[in-house]
Amino acid sequence: MFVLLSHLQRLRRAIAAPGPGRRGSLALRHVDAGSCNGCEHELTAVMSPFYDLQQYGLSIVASPRHADVLLVTGAITTRMAPALRAAHEAMPEPRLVAALGDCALGCNVLGLREQLAGPLEGIVAVDLRIPGCPPSPAVIADALTAALLARGEDRTVSGEPPAPAGGRR
Amino acid sequence: MTARPDGASGPRSAAAITRVAPAGWRPACLRAHADGARFAGLFGAPRGGRAVELRAVFSTPAGERVIACETPERAVESVVDVLPAAAWDEREAHDLHGVRFVGHEPLRPLLDHDAALERWTVPVAGRDAHQVAVGPVHAGVIESGHFRFHVVGELILSLDLRLFYKRRGLEAAATGRPAEDAIAYAQRACAACAVTSSVACAQACEAALGLAPDDELRRARTVLLELERVYNHLHDISAICAGVGFAPGAAAYAALKERVQRLNLRLAGHRFLFGSVRLGGSDLAPAAADVADARAQLRTTGDEHAALWRQLHFSRSLQERLDAVGVLGRDDAERLGAVGPAARAAGLRRDVRSESTRLCYGGFAPVTPAVPAGDVASRMTQRAIELEQSLAVLDELLADPPAPGRTRAIGPTAAVAVGRVESPRGATTCLVELDGRRLRALHLRTGSYANWPSLVHAVPGSLLADFPLINKSFELCYACVDR
Repeated sequence: MFVLLSHLQRLRRAIAAPGPGRRGSLALRHVDAGSCNGCEHELTAVMSPFYDLQQYGLSIVASPRHADVLLVTGAITTRMAPALRAAHEAMPEPRLVAALGDCALGCNVLGLREQLAGPLEGIVAVDLRIPGCPPSPAVIADALTAALLARGEDRTVSGEPPAPAGGRR
Repeated sequence: MTARPDGASGPRSAAAITRVAPAGWRPACLRAHADGARFAGLFGAPRGGRAVELRAVFSTPAGERVIACETPERAVESVVDVLPAAAWDEREAHDLHGVRFVGHEPLRPLLDHDAALERWTVPVAGRDAHQVAVGPVHAGVIESGHFRFHVVGELILSLDLRLFYKRRGLEAAATGRPAEDAIAYAQRACAACAVTSSVACAQACEAALGLAPDDELRRARTVLLELERVYNHLHDISAICAGVGFAPGAAAYAALKERVQRLNLRLAGHRFLFGSVRLGGSDLAPAAADVADARAQLRTTGDEHAALWRQLHFSRSLQERLDAVGVLGRDDAERLGAVGPAARAAGLRRDVRSESTRLCYGGFAPVTPAVPAGDVASRMTQRAIELEQSLAVLDELLADPPAPGRTRAIGPTAAVAVGRVESPRGATTCLVELDGRRLRALHLRTGSYANWPSLVHAVPGSLLADFPLINKSFELCYACVDR
C-alpha cells in the first residue's frame, strides 16, 4: 500500500499536475444515450491522475438530483430518450446541458432513422458543445473548466444568486 | 520480422456452407456440435415475402462452418436444450424477425422493450423475496442498461437483464452499402472493441472477395489488436480495483492505460485506434523512431505492471474482496459458451489467436491462471498474465516498423463469409453476405454478447453490493451487444 501511494506521488510529480487554484464547483451527471462507449472511457480518464478534475471542483455525482451539468453522450436512441428526459427533468435549476461528442451533436451518426431520436438539441436545449469522436480527455477538461469559469463570471455580472448547492462537495 | 504467420498453408478460404431445409436445421446443428465444432453465433436475415434466412456459425480448428436455412414459415426446431449458448441468439432472431424456435419455452423477449415485466423476467417467489430495479441510467460513468435483481435482503437470488437501450440499428443500416463501408459500421458498434470488430469484418469481407492478406497486413492488424487488448486489460484491472474502492490500484492502472492510449495516438493517429483498419490493405506506417520509442515505452509499461501487480498482492483488504466472488465454474462456462478471459479464468484453455490464420500469432498458446477458480480474483489474474503475453507479442512485432500491407487474390469468391477474432473480452464473430460488392447482410456477435449469460449465471448467491465488482471483472460492453 505504501509503495502504491508513493508510486502515485511520483506519478503526480512526473506529470506536474497543477494544484487547486480556482474556487467554485460544478456537479456533473452523465447519461449515455446511445454512445459507442468511447466518450465514457474519455470521461473516466478526465477523473484519472493525468487530468484529475476533482481538484478544480468538478466531480461526477450519482444522481441528476445532485447535478448542475448534464453530460449527454451518444446518438440519442429512441429507447434512451425517455430516460434522458426524466434525468433532465430531475435536475434542479439552474442547470447546464452538455452534448459530449460528435454523436450527441448529430455529426456522422450511423444507424437506422427509426432507432434514433437525436441529435440532443432536438430534445433539450444545449448549453455546451464538446465535439470529437470521442473528444479527448484534454478537450473535455478544457470545456468543463471553461464552463466553470464562465458560470462564475455570469454570476458576478448578472448578480444572480448562487446556484443551489446540489453537489456533494 | 521474426514472427511468422500461423499455418504454412496460409489463410483458409471462406467458410464451408451447408444448406438445409427447415426440418434439417436442428439435426445439422446438433451434428456439428457432436463433431466437436463450437457454436459461434446464430443470425437471421429477412428474405422475400415472409421468409427468413437463418445461419448458424460453428468454429473448428480447421475453419468455420456455416449451416444455412431459409424458412418461409419462419419456424424451426430450437437447439437451445443442447446448445444453451444459442439462447440469446434465438431470442434475438425471434424479436427481430418473428422466427419461432419450437421447443424454446418460454422464449422470453430480449430486444423487445414493450413486453410486460412478467414476460421477460424469470418468476421468483418466496418469503421476503423482492425485486431491485437498477438503470438504464446508472450512478457512475457507465453504459446504459437495466438490471432487475431478485433479492432477499442483500442476497441475490437471480438476475434478469434488459439491454438494447443503445440500439442504433447498425447492422440493418449497413445493408445495401458498398463492402468498403462495412468496417465503419462494425467499428462504430463499440469503441473498446473497435479494432477487433473492424478486423473481423475486414476478414469476412476479404474472404468473401477471395482476398488474402500479405505478411505486412497481418502484422499491422495484429499490432493494432494487441494495442487494443493492452489498453483494455489495463483499464479492466483499474476498474476491478475501483470496484472494491481500492483507489491506489485504480489510479495506478488508469495512468498506465492513459499512457498506452497516448501511444496509440502517436502510432496510429487515434487514442482508440479508430480508422486504422480498412478493407484490402493497411496504411499503418509510423516513423521508425516512433516505433522504437513505442517499443521502449511498452517495455516500461510491462515493468511497471509487474511491479504494481506484485504490490496489489500485499494489500490483503483488496485480495480478500476478490476470492470466491462471482464464481463461473468450468462446466458452466463450457455449457453457456463463455469466451475470452472469463472462460480462460474458469479453466477453458481457448483463444481464437491460436487459430488465426489471417493474423500474425505464430505459435500462440493460450494461458490460464495456475488455479483457474472462475472467480473475480481469477479473472483479474487472467488479465495480468495476458498483458505480459500481449506485450511480448508487441515487442516481437515492433522489432521493425510496420509497413503498408495489402491483399492478393487467392481464389474463389463466396456470397457468405465469416471473420473470427479474439477481442479483449473474447471471440468475436462477424458474418457478411455480399451481393457483388454490396452488403446484403452484416452480423456482429462480439465476445460481450457471448458472455452476458455467463455473468447472469455467476451472480446468484452473491451480495447486491458485490454486483458492480463482479460486473467489472467480466467488463462486458453494452454498445456492441445493442448495436
